[in-house]
Amino acid sequence: MADPTDPQELVLQTIGLRKHFGGVLAVNGVDLSVAPGDVRAIIGPNGAGKTTLFNLLTGDLTHDSGRIYFAGEEVSGLPPHQLCRRGMGRTFQITSIFRRLSALENVQTAFLSHHRRHYNILTPARRLYRDDAFALLERVGLQEQARKPSGILPHGDQRRLELAIALASGPRLLLLDEPTAGMAPRERHEIMALVARITSDTGLTVVFTEHDMDVVFAVARRITVLHQGSVLTEGSPAAVRANPDVRRVYLGQLTSC
Amino acid sequence: MTASARALGLLAVVLALAPLALPPFFLQLLTEIAIVGLFATAFNLLMGFGGMVSFGHAAYFALGAYAAALLVKRAGVPMLLALPAAPLAAAAGALLFGFFIVRLTHTYFAMLSLAFAQIVFTVIFKWKSLTGGDDGLLDVWPPAMLKSPAAYYYFTLATVALSLFVLHSVSESPFGYALRSVRENPRRARFIGINVRRLQLLAFVISGAFSGLAGGLFAFYNGSVFPDFAYFTKSFEPLVVALLGGAQSFFGPLAGAFGFKILEWLVSRQWPVYWPLFLGTIVVLVIVALPQGFVGLAGGQGWRTRLIRKS
Repeated sequence: MADPTDPQELVLQTIGLRKHFGGVLAVNGVDLSVAPGDVRAIIGPNGAGKTTLFNLLTGDLTHDSGRIYFAGEEVSGLPPHQLCRRGMGRTFQITSIFRRLSALENVQTAFLSHHRRHYNILTPARRLYRDDAFALLERVGLQEQARKPSGILPHGDQRRLELAIALASGPRLLLLDEPTAGMAPRERHEIMALVARITSDTGLTVVFTEHDMDVVFAVARRITVLHQGSVLTEGSPAAVRANPDVRRVYLGQLTSC
Repeated sequence: MTASARALGLLAVVLALAPLALPPFFLQLLTEIAIVGLFATAFNLLMGFGGMVSFGHAAYFALGAYAAALLVKRAGVPMLLALPAAPLAAAAGALLFGFFIVRLTHTYFAMLSLAFAQIVFTVIFKWKSLTGGDDGLLDVWPPAMLKSPAAYYYFTLATVALSLFVLHSVSESPFGYALRSVRENPRRARFIGINVRRLQLLAFVISGAFSGLAGGLFAFYNGSVFPDFAYFTKSFEPLVVALLGGAQSFFGPLAGAFGFKILEWLVSRQWPVYWPLFLGTIVVLVIVALPQGFVGLAGGQGWRTRLIRKS
């Protein structure tokens, strides 16, 4: 890992990021630094601001104040398609694919866009990047499902497909918003093992949110804990696990349930 | 050769030989079917492939028709030079209006497209010195060599066939794939790097251009142009035709145009007043029993429909 204190080396950095909805401060001055090759989990109790932070990072929401840097350049206020072009890939909390297209067409379209061919109106697209798309589908274990309409695939396969779509854009940072949401425990570990395999193969940096603590502690290299819109603590899984504040926050939530 | 290629070849031969067997009236009916088919196919590039339902496509049909007719009537330009102005004028209109329309979605998209079309209608209706207002522009005929029903039929057939070939290429191009992805999921499409509005605007302009060409062809077929080319009832024609034929298939609108015009002729001949009643009944029946439209009768693509009905 590169020196995490040098901002030029960071993949992602936020400074004093703030967002409120009406009177609620959803994200309240978050400073985040993610170094290349990191696999960073962002955790926190419900309402801690994880999803809002995520949507600020991906340009789906605009923040009230603060700055966002991606790969050393300020990207505050850039729309999603430009962030994607700069190398940010993402998956959504609710699976987001092109349901009436085949799995193959889903990934092919992502490749076509990545290679800036999507304003080409006259050449046939059917064979373009088909081999790349097959190879990527094979990597996520969907080669048998390539020709099927993606909307009828089982939930776990749709999650894998979404990962393949994100990877087709050649990202250097992958943002996964609750990648195991709605999955059975066995599937959860399969998909996170897949993420881990891809990141160790490619050195891709990953930032993810997750509710399942087993998954978090099995995969994350560093963990940021959010509480009431602010960073409570950040550190290695072992350090976070031992942190009394974290225990208090989670226990507090448990007793209130 | 695939089955669909064989079917297209057969269709081409039949249409090419039609003037030998059919009286002029039927050639005119076929000419009209080809024009409506082009209009509905251009419209369906937006609805079927882009998920954008326009309630104002008559605007681009009328812009094309009036651009061609005005050049012939007011500037004395020959028809073969005036016709290419039809798609150009319509594309310019689609670029201007589309810039605002693609900023909206669903109902608001439909309503703004309708509003712009009503503006076009009002301008044509009121600007009497240029457009002739309610009286329209008369004697907009093609040159002598294209004036016979058979000659204009061949001319229209060739122009429409070429246009459909271009539109089909567009729908199967990388742009066509990207457009489908935007239809399916704009949020995801943004996060594969697509500038959704710009892509939608390009689709709008292409769709408008070919709607305008259909308008230009119709002007010379009809020999005159009238303000109601831009009226909202005209905007619903490609919508109904595409739904009847099958909006999920590229050739659906063409099949729809054929069914629509043949039924209109059969019914209007007997009971002219009751055509709207028949049309309404048929539309309801098709939507309920045959959601893939007429092309659904030919089978295939079952899963696409299941997904549509589910979502």
